[in-house]
Amino acid sequence: MKRTLATATLLAGTLLGAASAQDAPSGAITVTAWDIAAEALEALVPGFNEQYPDVQVTVENLGNQQVFDRGLAGCAAGGADLPDVYAVENNEAEVFWNRFPDCFLDLTALGADELRDDFPDFKWTELTVGERVYAIPWDSGPVVTFYRRDLYEEAGINPDEIETWDDFIEAGQALDEATGAKMLWFDFSDDGVWRQLANQNGCFYFDPEGTEVTVNQPGCVDAMETMKALYDAGIVAIVDWNGAIQEIRNGTLAGAVFGAWYVGTIQSNAPDQEGNWGVYEMPASEPGGVRAANLGGSALAIPASSQNPEAAMAFIRYALATTEGQVSMLRNQGLVPSYLPALEDPYVQEPVPYWGDQPIWQDILATLGEIPQARGTQYFQEARQIVTNTLSQYLTQNAYEDAQAAMDDAAQQISAAVGLPIAGQ
Amino acid sequence: MQRNRLVPYSFLLPYLAVFVLFWAWPILYSFYLSFLDTRGFPWSLQPGVNWGRILSDPFFRQALRNTLLILLVQVPIMLTLATGLAVGLNSPLLKLRGFYRFAFFAPVVVGAVAYSAVFRLLFNTQNGAVNVALTGLGLPRVDWLNAPVPALVLIILTVTWRWTGYNAIIILAGLQNVPGELYEAAKIDGANPWQQFWGITLPLLRPILLFALVLSVIGTLQLFTEPFLITGGGPGNATLTLGVYLYQQGFRSFNFGYASAIGYAIALLAVLFSLIQLRLFGRDA
Repeated sequence: MKRTLATATLLAGTLLGAASAQDAPSGAITVTAWDIAAEALEALVPGFNEQYPDVQVTVENLGNQQVFDRGLAGCAAGGADLPDVYAVENNEAEVFWNRFPDCFLDLTALGADELRDDFPDFKWTELTVGERVYAIPWDSGPVVTFYRRDLYEEAGINPDEIETWDDFIEAGQALDEATGAKMLWFDFSDDGVWRQLANQNGCFYFDPEGTEVTVNQPGCVDAMETMKALYDAGIVAIVDWNGAIQEIRNGTLAGAVFGAWYVGTIQSNAPDQEGNWGVYEMPASEPGGVRAANLGGSALAIPASSQNPEAAMAFIRYALATTEGQVSMLRNQGLVPSYLPALEDPYVQEPVPYWGDQPIWQDILATLGEIPQARGTQYFQEARQIVTNTLSQYLTQNAYEDAQAAMDDAAQQISAAVGLPIAGQ
Repeated sequence: MQRNRLVPYSFLLPYLAVFVLFWAWPILYSFYLSFLDTRGFPWSLQPGVNWGRILSDPFFRQALRNTLLILLVQVPIMLTLATGLAVGLNSPLLKLRGFYRFAFFAPVVVGAVAYSAVFRLLFNTQNGAVNVALTGLGLPRVDWLNAPVPALVLIILTVTWRWTGYNAIIILAGLQNVPGELYEAAKIDGANPWQQFWGITLPLLRPILLFALVLSVIGTLQLFTEPFLITGGGPGNATLTLGVYLYQQGFRSFNFGYASAIGYAIALLAVLFSLIQLRLFGRDA
């Protein structure tokens, strides 16, 4: 009896000790992400385990859309079957916080406040609701033009002379004549390229407050016109993600206009083309216009159903809020840090052999400050689906008189789908 | 006496409880949901929002058009094939009948996810076996997954591959109920096999064919698995079916009210089509 009491006291003492903040988290956590993002997190596990040897990390690699669908289904089921660390795209994030305010933890209690100044404001916009911080920013996708140096040379194109989309189209036709290769690609199952062009013009589906539909404002209409001009000029390869990779390997695709995360895709799929690739700023809508946009970029959140939020937060902090973690992902997977201290790292200035010794990261990150604000809002999915459809109708079937008519129709549809008014009406 | 009357009900009780909880209640609740505006929180009662949108929604129209197109092309092809297969499987000349029956029925048993993945590989534009075979024959490549018309054809092909054997087995069961004497009598009267098929087999198969037809039509109206897994409803919205659109609205946009309205629209269509078929092909009304 006495002994039991003593044991109990001892046990209680140990438990109290464990609860004091000095102890390292332990246990098993699961991390869910997609494609290259999952690979990046997987690669960080050994470094993380040096600091936290008692945490076992399992990374699940699912497709991007599957991660999103599963997250929503899990939240709808009251937090069933969710991992401890969940990757979410910034643009798509708000539907979670709006529809399921209690599905993810408020990370302020776990120390998110200390990280506020380490990330740019535009990354926090979609991750916070009032005082609550639902996710920690991860990467961003500054948009640049990727190009095959050797093919441009063959066609006599100087990328420094490409300033506007009109220049770009002219160069594309010269390239097509000389080599038969295309300048960029898009597919009609997404509107990513359009989003880049709209963002460059300071326009998006909705206004930054998320209260009005702005998809038929001049900047968005101009983006649609540019898409049409690119398509009609015959300088675009119409393929899906994997088809584009195939064409890059075959050398029939001489470039892309995409978020910087495409660096990793090109490098890992065409290792034999080392030295032949380069990047330059995306063309502007008009001479002297903005030559920067953002496409994609993600964050990490912790579902409220997690059994081990401390370990999950420790992993997130190691991956996203240390220069070591972020630079490792930049170096190996080409994920662009939004963690500001990481941008000071000497690696950023280094010339990269694959890219013809161009210091690509310096060139890409130089555009960060120019990127206009764009907010996905909780209605991102609906708007994206409607614009994607309008895009293929307008480009391939000439279903509309002009870009303005196409975007007016898209605005009507989005307004009907989400119940927000169209700006200026 | 009274207690005896309760006996059958008490036997039925477990089933009834499950039925009410997982069938009746969701059906009623989704009817109520279809009158709510669920585009954002909080939800509010606005009867016109979803039903009004169905009438003017180009996505819904496109999904309806695709679904009906698949229905009109795929169901007749499939049932014709299935009838032919059933007659073949029923032939006393055929060896290894059991094996063939199993083989034709097998696609239904295969996991939908697994076979969809295989079909995606087979019909890959660059390296898929189908295009390699086509180019081998000197025919042009077909961009199965990224061009609208081929994508729709691909969906029709896969659904036909999956369900033909299933319907053949149902029709085969019907064939085995046709009395042999009828054929013997027909032979004595000098009818050739073709005449026997048109004069005896088909008329006697009518109730079974009607059953297969109604089931197939309802199944196709709800078509979801193949377009969702193989083409994702794309390219553009070329293979968007009512089922896929319902899923997108319900589980991607979380607009349950509109998804419920779409669900009810599908159910109404199914009722309508079934009535038409019974009127046309059923026992003479």
